[in-house]
Amino acid sequence: MKTSRWNKQLLFAPYIYISPYFILFFIFSLYPILYSFYLSFTDWNGSGEKTMVGFSNYVELFGDRSFWLSLWNSSLIFLMYVPVMLFLGLIFASLLNSNWMVGKGFFRMALFVPNFVSVVAVSFVFVLLFNTQDGLINSVLRNIGLIDRPLPWLESPWWARLSVAMMVMYRWLGYNMLLLMTGLQNISKDLYEAAYVDGATKWKSFFFITIPLVKKMLLFCTVLSTIGTFSLFTEPFILTQGGPLNSTLTPVLMLYTESFQNFNFGYASSIAVCFFILMMVISLLQMRVFDDKD
Amino acid sequence: MKRKSTLFALVACLMISLLTSACSSSEQPAASNEPSSTGNDPVKLVVWIWETAKDGLDLNMEAFQAKYPNIEVEFQTMKSTDLYSKYLITSSTSDAVPDIIAVESTNLSQIVQIDSLLDITDRVEPYKDKMSAYKWEDATKDGKIYAMPWDSGPVVMFYRNDLFAEAGLPTDPEEVAQKIQTWEDYYEAAKLVKEKTGAYMYGDSKTNSSSRMFESMMWQRGLWYFDNNGNVAVDSPEVKESADFLIKMQKEELVFDARANTDQWGNGIRDGKIATVVGGSWHDAIIENQYSPSDAGKWSITMMPKWSKEDAYTGANQGGANLAINKNSKHPEEAWNFIEFMLGNEESQVKMMTGAGLFPALLLGDDVSMDEASAYFNNQPIRKVYAQSLANTYPLAYTSDFPMANKLMTDVWAKVFLNDMSSEQALKEMANELRSKTKRN
Repeated sequence: MKTSRWNKQLLFAPYIYISPYFILFFIFSLYPILYSFYLSFTDWNGSGEKTMVGFSNYVELFGDRSFWLSLWNSSLIFLMYVPVMLFLGLIFASLLNSNWMVGKGFFRMALFVPNFVSVVAVSFVFVLLFNTQDGLINSVLRNIGLIDRPLPWLESPWWARLSVAMMVMYRWLGYNMLLLMTGLQNISKDLYEAAYVDGATKWKSFFFITIPLVKKMLLFCTVLSTIGTFSLFTEPFILTQGGPLNSTLTPVLMLYTESFQNFNFGYASSIAVCFFILMMVISLLQMRVFDDKD
Repeated sequence: MKRKSTLFALVACLMISLLTSACSSSEQPAASNEPSSTGNDPVKLVVWIWETAKDGLDLNMEAFQAKYPNIEVEFQTMKSTDLYSKYLITSSTSDAVPDIIAVESTNLSQIVQIDSLLDITDRVEPYKDKMSAYKWEDATKDGKIYAMPWDSGPVVMFYRNDLFAEAGLPTDPEEVAQKIQTWEDYYEAAKLVKEKTGAYMYGDSKTNSSSRMFESMMWQRGLWYFDNNGNVAVDSPEVKESADFLIKMQKEELVFDARANTDQWGNGIRDGKIATVVGGSWHDAIIENQYSPSDAGKWSITMMPKWSKEDAYTGANQGGANLAINKNSKHPEEAWNFIEFMLGNEESQVKMMTGAGLFPALLLGDDVSMDEASAYFNNQPIRKVYAQSLANTYPLAYTSDFPMANKLMTDVWAKVFLNDMSSEQALKEMANELRSKTKRN
């Protein structure tokens, strides 16, 4: 009897220990998620009556050019910064991981600080920097003679996307570098020594030892960056308000505009649902693509 | 066994209590609708407001406290756009706080449509004829009134005397009004200013325009994004005319490229690169205090240009605010006392006008402060110009889909200037999008 009671306790105890998380998760995540599934089938202005409208929000959404544009924008921004960021991150990580580097602690911190400084504050600083008429970037470029006319950092579609991409990279480079560094620390030193004995150069061992062995970590960073890019909000919201011509509109920014500015909660929920499904599919695909050989 | 079940009971209790506390807020107001504090119990009102509007109310707080010692007022300040989205969330959970919110006229109709404000039709009855008539329309839904008008933004033309003089234009307000009667005159003056001084006539962004000047031009002609029947009207030929005028100004490089009321635009004002501001009266404080405090005597004010000399109305309105009561407030009586004291009372309104630059929606009698000369604006009695503009303003309302229409208008300019689209095509596309999004005709 005693043992069986003990066994039962063993069986249930873990669930009780983890229950606080799940209780909070059910209330603050699962319930809102399910509720927005429900809302996506209604027409609702935020208070008052909800009317069931079936799939019409989805029909409207799939015909909405802004929605497809927002996905396109996110993909472009992703391509503009993720490859560069991962490459730079890996190089910095290897440098900071090597034996001869001095001031490692300082550089690690300097690269990581942008990540935990408030995004809103940083965005406002970038607005000042990118200012066309008298921003610092244009002034410097003009004074060293690189440009004649001020560059429209936030006023033309391509420049605006690039500006957003640069700001995101500034913020997340350090974070990805740290992740990659943990990956590097798991690589055995023996491999490098063996390669050195065989006459491999530093670059060769970087490309043929380091990169293949941090592949898993690179995948993880790519998945995180994909989700992060598609759910960008603060940066475009403050830098460009999604403009010009919706060129920096992201799905989450569109969701915000539809819900809290246009008061179309049903429509906004259908964006959220599609966004969720899309992110799930992309993450699964990426894991498949990177996973096949192991 | 027993211990396990007690544990389960505990967990279950926890979950139930959490769930009920999460859901209970919606039942609160029904239970607490009993008459509150008609006696001497102190009552606390929470007011959601933005900083510059609060500065106005602060001027009257002492007098208010003296008259209503039992009402304590707590201001919570935030950006106006944040205020609306926060209030929307509050009202969907039937929260009793805040008791009072400030709402700009631009967004009032949208907030009224979500049915979360207290019906104050009977209470505002004595003020119906005492306010600028156009203010009521955005506060009304189905014949019921939900907000009390606060101030107006009668649009006038601020201009730089020194730049005008250098360009060979008159500088006396009367003469300027004579010289620049129509927008065509304004365009001719702009060319002179650019040629003689290098300064731009006004500031507006090509790709991120706030469209406020364009809206003023529509307003004074009684045109709007929607017509009187609520149908979309941006593709009408008259709207296109006004848009084309501003496009011409931009294409001939007569405009300082910066969104109005941003720091970039303010720097243009400060550096003397912008010769005029056609905008609401509240720009006086922005020019005088925020961007150009050292330029006393350089600015004057006159009426804005008209479309054609035969037009009946000269003025337009830009902005202006209102106060409204949360439908779920536990202290509607006290909240109304506060609003009435602040906005329905000539003395309070005059104080806010002279002290905070808020030009009242309340029609003032022959108040001496109207003739007061402004030291900064060349010793001109500027409020007389505002009053004249207000008296000549077309009675128009912003309507509930204004925020969306305004945002789409920004894209119209961007399409014209970035993609070389014709204004006709861009306005047509906007009209179609507005029709499908707002389900109007």
